[in-house]
Amino acid sequence: MSFECRTLSAEVGSRDGARSVLHDVSLDVAKGEFVSIMGRSGVGKTTLLRVLAGLLKPTPDSTVRFEGRDVVGPPEGLSLVFQDYSSALLPWRTVAANVELPLEQNLPKTERRQRVAATLEMVGLADRANDRPPQLSGGMQQRVQLARALASRPVALLMDEPFGALDALTKSDLEDELLRLVGGTAMTVVFVTHDIDEAVYLSDRVVVLGGEPADVVADIAVECPRPREQIRTRESAHFLAARSRVHEVIFGTR
Amino acid sequence: MKALNLAGVGVLLVAAGLWEVVVQAQLGDLQFLPAPSEIASAARQAVADGELLGRTIHTLVVTLLGWGMASVAGLGLGLALGLSDRAYRYSMTSFEVTRAIPPITFVPAALLIFGFSLKMELVLVVFGGVWPVLVNTIGGVHAVRPELHDVGEMLRLNKLAKVRKVVLPAALPAVVVGLRLALSLCLVLAIVAEMVGNPEGIGNGLIAARQALQPALMFVYVLAAGLLGVALNALFRGAVRLLFPSGSANEERVW
Amino acid sequence: MTAEAGVQSQRSRPVGRTHRSGVVTGLAPLALLLVVWEVVGSPDSPFYPAPSSWWPALFTRGQDEDIIPAILDTSRTFGLGLSVATLVGVGVGIGVGVSVRADRAFGPMFEFARAVPPAALVPVATLLLGFDETMKIVVVVMAAVWPIMLNTRAGIRAIDPIRLDMARSLRMSPSRTVGRVLLPSVTPAVLLGVRVATPVALVITLLVEYLTGVNGLGALVGDAQRTFQPARVYALIVIAGLISLAVNSLIRSIEQRIRRLHLGG
Repeated sequence: MSFECRTLSAEVGSRDGARSVLHDVSLDVAKGEFVSIMGRSGVGKTTLLRVLAGLLKPTPDSTVRFEGRDVVGPPEGLSLVFQDYSSALLPWRTVAANVELPLEQNLPKTERRQRVAATLEMVGLADRANDRPPQLSGGMQQRVQLARALASRPVALLMDEPFGALDALTKSDLEDELLRLVGGTAMTVVFVTHDIDEAVYLSDRVVVLGGEPADVVADIAVECPRPREQIRTRESAHFLAARSRVHEVIFGTR
Repeated sequence: MKALNLAGVGVLLVAAGLWEVVVQAQLGDLQFLPAPSEIASAARQAVADGELLGRTIHTLVVTLLGWGMASVAGLGLGLALGLSDRAYRYSMTSFEVTRAIPPITFVPAALLIFGFSLKMELVLVVFGGVWPVLVNTIGGVHAVRPELHDVGEMLRLNKLAKVRKVVLPAALPAVVVGLRLALSLCLVLAIVAEMVGNPEGIGNGLIAARQALQPALMFVYVLAAGLLGVALNALFRGAVRLLFPSGSANEERVW
Repeated sequence: MTAEAGVQSQRSRPVGRTHRSGVVTGLAPLALLLVVWEVVGSPDSPFYPAPSSWWPALFTRGQDEDIIPAILDTSRTFGLGLSVATLVGVGVGIGVGVSVRADRAFGPMFEFARAVPPAALVPVATLLLGFDETMKIVVVVMAAVWPIMLNTRAGIRAIDPIRLDMARSLRMSPSRTVGRVLLPSVTPAVLLGVRVATPVALVITLLVEYLTGVNGLGALVGDAQRTFQPARVYALIVIAGLISLAVNSLIRSIEQRIRRLHLGG
């Protein structure tokens, strides 16, 4: 089991005091699963992700485990991809140096360089290795972030609306790129998004959060076979079924 | 609106306390450093014999007078240059060059020309204070978005009305910044002039105390200069808030 | 001069109409002034010696030998003063930028210290520290530190929390986070502060020299003025102005370079 959450509750502080965002959430993510987390804006998707990432401490009665161990701070083997690539990347470093960042504490130089080159090759940015992020388009910058996340060979990937700031065409490109990159591996992915089509297209399961404070409202399996394909999959019956189920949960009878 | 900053007051008191202790215990080797208690009694003395008040008033009056004149000149010239492309083209580099020469360097020239007099002080204050107003007014007028000029055209306003109703209000924040900068600058120039050219006011009080080797009195004048600066700044901001309550002229508070 | 901080937005671009300020044509008034001055003034005028007499006045009585050493003295004080101001300003700026509590606590004290005109500090400084290089540098630092500190503080506040989250998610040690992420992130803001502080540091250096006569260009100006050599005074002022222009453009281009590295392509 990659992630295990039991009775997870989390609060977010502000000047007026702490606000309970998540309450009593239970969630399991198996190894190699691709799970999307959905919900209305502000419901707590990012909060949940940050708890899984070890960036936010939940209430003491919560249980959060990654690879069988309690999460106390960002654990080894976990990589994060943020929506805001211009803040998440360091503009004064080259693309290659950005990808190298997570490796600098652990690996010797030659091995680092090899890993960086290989990863950049994987995401198709080998020829931009010496450019700086502001010189690249949004889609390319997000690929750099992806490369950086993958460079440390994580067992799990947490992604916070990574394609939310991109235009629709770039989005589909990157969705497929992501599937291609994690497809052959046993990598677990937890993917936060507010785009229903994207969630269903990418995932094995779609988990919907709702309520205030939020809890898991639905856990919908996506039966579409892999590998997925933009036209065929999106026209398939399984896809449409899952999609309307998610839609119903989020917008449905209230 | 702002809650009393207890921590801030606390820090000030602690700092003053530490200062007192360090001097009384003669911990440092700065033999001329006066303790806050000595500064306080020197201040009392200076207030009692009217010195402090008289000097402060002089500096204050010269600053405000000079600032007033500089503001009028700077605003008028700034508007003229800002609105007229031709005038701007034919003069801007000159202003940029002269602006780069710090006003302080005019002190010796002013001394040579006007000698030790009130005139010297006033000339320095006005000449120095004009620049921030001028530059910021021009900047403010130039920064008026083209759309607003179009609005003026559409409303068929004649030139004067357009300036009054569209350009001036839009340029206001920049102008206010210029006026505020000029006010600080005028105070500083007044004090410098008093230190070297016009034997009156806070600046001269400082020099006199220095020559008489009265460090406590010196600190009194330093504090007076600082307080005057803070007071003028606060009064200015208050006046701006009063005159333009909609906040259209306001800029970000630093603290 | 009070260092009115001028904490500026890093994206300041003129928004309105573009104005071609013909660089050469803009010199017209200045040129005119010099011409008129030349015609009207005479070399012996006690107040307005003609511009043509300025340069030669530098060499009278062999005083030209003093000029280069004076420029070096001024440069040394300016350079050291600005450097120390940068170190102190960045250190304190990071401190109050990171800790809101520290910021509120030290705010009033800083606001008041900032309001004291550096010129007023000179007599106190000479009394406490004497007439030497250290005294000059202390006064310069007290004036130049404010823009740097305030801009650093603003720079820290402007760091997107995402960036710090990112560093945490990479399990970066605190020292690496500060060195590899925090400091480079605030560098454009720090440089902006240094750019604003540069003319302040130079002016205050000249002012201290003028008021105390310790060494440097300012002291030379004071001498010339007290010995009634107006042409020399003007000549030295021009030299000071040229140095000021050069230093300011240098700092400006450095700042722009770094800014482009961070924000542009």
